Amino acid sequence: MTSTPALEMRKATKKYVGVPAIEDVDFALLPGEIHSIVGENGAGKSTLTKIMAGVVQLDSGQMLIDGQEVRPLTPNDAQKLGVAMVFQETTLVPTMTVAQNLFLGQEKFFNRLRGIYIAAQQFLQSLQFDVDPTAQVSLLGAAKKQMVEIARAVLHKAKIIIFDEPTASLTPEEKKYFFDLVYSLKARGVSVIFISHALEEALQVSDRITVLRDGRHVVTDEASQFDRARIVQAMVGRDLSQTLYGQRKKQIRPQGKRVLSVQNLRMAAMVKNNSLSVFAGQVTGVFGLVGSGRTETFKVVAGVIKRDFMHGGEVLLHGRPVRYFVPASGVRDGIAYVTEDRKVEGFFETKSIADNIYLGLLAKLRGKRPLFRRSESAEVGEHWIKRLNVRAIGKDVKAIELSGGNQQKVVIAKALVQEPDLIIFDEPTRGVDVGAISEIHAIINRLADEGKAVVVISSYLPEVMAISDRILVQRMGKVVEEYSPAEATEEKIMYAAIH
Amino acid sequence: MIATVLAWKDRLLGRGDAAITVPVFDGALKSNRLIEDATAVATMDAPEDVATDGQTVYVADGARVLRLQHDDLHEVHRCAGHITALACVPGGGFALAIEGKEVRIEGGAHHGRQWSAVGAERFNAVNAISVTQDGRLHVTDGSSTRPHGQWKHDLMSLGRSGRVFELTPADGAGRVLATHLHYAFGACEMDGSVWVSESWRHHVTRVNRARNGSPPTVTDALPGYPSRIVPAQGGGVWLTCFALRTQLVEFVLREHTYRKRMIAEVPPAYWIAPALNSGNTFLEPMQGAQLKMMGIVKPWAPPRSYGLVVRLDEDGLVRYSLHSRYDGKNHGVAAAAECDGKLYLIAMGNRRLLALDIAAAERELLG
Repeated sequence: MTSTPALEMRKATKKYVGVPAIEDVDFALLPGEIHSIVGENGAGKSTLTKIMAGVVQLDSGQMLIDGQEVRPLTPNDAQKLGVAMVFQETTLVPTMTVAQNLFLGQEKFFNRLRGIYIAAQQFLQSLQFDVDPTAQVSLLGAAKKQMVEIARAVLHKAKIIIFDEPTASLTPEEKKYFFDLVYSLKARGVSVIFISHALEEALQVSDRITVLRDGRHVVTDEASQFDRARIVQAMVGRDLSQTLYGQRKKQIRPQGKRVLSVQNLRMAAMVKNNSLSVFAGQVTGVFGLVGSGRTETFKVVAGVIKRDFMHGGEVLLHGRPVRYFVPASGVRDGIAYVTEDRKVEGFFETKSIADNIYLGLLAKLRGKRPLFRRSESAEVGEHWIKRLNVRAIGKDVKAIELSGGNQQKVVIAKALVQEPDLIIFDEPTRGVDVGAISEIHAIINRLADEGKAVVVISSYLPEVMAISDRILVQRMGKVVEEYSPAEATEEKIMYAAIH
Repeated sequence: MIATVLAWKDRLLGRGDAAITVPVFDGALKSNRLIEDATAVATMDAPEDVATDGQTVYVADGARVLRLQHDDLHEVHRCAGHITALACVPGGGFALAIEGKEVRIEGGAHHGRQWSAVGAERFNAVNAISVTQDGRLHVTDGSSTRPHGQWKHDLMSLGRSGRVFELTPADGAGRVLATHLHYAFGACEMDGSVWVSESWRHHVTRVNRARNGSPPTVTDALPGYPSRIVPAQGGGVWLTCFALRTQLVEFVLREHTYRKRMIAEVPPAYWIAPALNSGNTFLEPMQGAQLKMMGIVKPWAPPRSYGLVVRLDEDGLVRYSLHSRYDGKNHGVAAAAECDGKLYLIAMGNRRLLALDIAAAERELLG
């Protein structure tokens, strides 16, 4: 290894709407090195690597390749500089064949399909990837798509390849091939950045490991100097009292009747044999890393997505098996799902606060309100604006004109107007200002005190620990651990969440 | 006709009854090691039941009734046959079930009173007796077709001939409270009705319901097979579960042809069925499973036995639970008695009388 890094970031800072995703991050990737970047959700791994790959640009700081300052504005620029990124969600064209995807952007004026297939076949065989070059990409499984994505990066002669959670969808055998490929890339002098929640894999495959936390660089060291415990400590080592969410919960509510029982639920590759219960009068916190299947599990419960058609397991609401084909059926049975993506799924941005809330009520009263009653809408809107303290000039203000926190309150009001027994909050404080966080938490606590069954899905450990009466940890599609707030620590939860 | 088509569709798609799912141990049912770590008071030959009069603990062991005194057991009574249920009667004496076919009072004001039938209903597999404050007995008879020792046969033949009786020692009267239960195993008078464990339906139900609008089910969807119920100090009850439900057993219970052949051709010890202890021989059936630990997939087979006691409150809600997990030995807990701040348990799997401190357990579980 030489002393000049193949890629270097100096004081890298990137902000989204004023909130820093990464701040003053220093990072160096040596030639021929396998370098893992680890950190919990929101630590800044993706932002850092997206900057390297030209997907987003730095606000301040420097990026250097082979000692020369560069500033790739597009992924194409980055590719020309020898940087390729293999995303977790593949970027292949689904209607094209594997071979066409491999050579996409490198086509000649006249293309002979047979020639492309033969070249692709030879190339895939050299990588020991068992993928048919003539297969249409949309018909491939996740693992094979990942292989094509990797093969494309190798084919484009990248000097630096960034893998974002490359092994999440691979079988053990495919993983072995993948690691062999990574080692062969290293032998060819290619530098590899490896982002993974699987710490064992990071420890096994890496030369060095960098840990990020809350958008800041924590530590970089030789992989041999790390063990699992040291990485987890570095990932989560923050003072709880310094967070927005305050101290951990002291008073734990006793559990009431079992409202929801999920038994052996399956949904594609995301939810695997998942079982859990949710009880009345408690806040059940659900923590898991990205891809652990938390959101999918509860979207199945609410009828937003469907479980596997065959052998999909059971969902019992108040002891009665339910299977919803549309969310409206779940709403009528008393399930409210407050989405994590409020802008897309949460509200109609050009409608007023009152109309948005009233639409929530109409979903519950299907058939009983054939006409939109403007007076009722105004009445319902005013009631909930006052009750949830939505800060707006009036009920007729459009949802898009509100701040993130007040938009979230509108989405919550839209759910609560349905008078649900089970309320599922998915990332309720994501993108919400500090003041609104405590108000939303107060709403959640009030609901549990009123005897409702409340689920809070959160990627942020301090939030889960501050608000939950019981904490479920999900990993690889199923709940793997349950903690009471009294016994839970950030290290324990994170230890259970990573694989 | 429609039901048949729907059942066929469920079997095809793995839905409804064919989903073969088992409730999860979470919330107040989250596992711990409190039964495994309980003090072993004694190991016996064939312990069956434990009872208390509030001051002393008595154990039914084979044909003997033993008294626990200074951590030692002393014989106080011997019967002609195996005692299958034991209860202490107010004012002294015991109510005993012998070989499951006869209920008898020994000692006290009604000494010698006995029943072998109520009307035309003959006792067959009496497995639990509870005594009310005014001295009436509630007796559960698991099966009218299989003897007490053949509970596995009853489960595998989908038995539903369990019964509950009320006996009055004062005048020798008796009446039938419920029939056609899916293995009645334990009863206890609560809130004006009688709570009864129905093992094969995994729930506790109310029979002889008071007209106060209480629902028929006390608690349901238990992850184990409930057995005896005894009152707890401070309200509520202790409910023992003698074995755990597994997906493999649930699957076998839906496969009628396989089950019939298994009953006909395989010795009961090697059936795919719940057990009071397991892991004794490699011939036992195993459920293939796997665990992923530290990134490595390891083979693992859940055994067929487990130790579980559930503390229910007056509304039938689970307050907390005590466990001897898969890696433990104190399995097959089928009887409990609370005396002097301690909970005494019979672990039939390793034939032990166990004692655990209730206050310490509550401190650990409830904080």
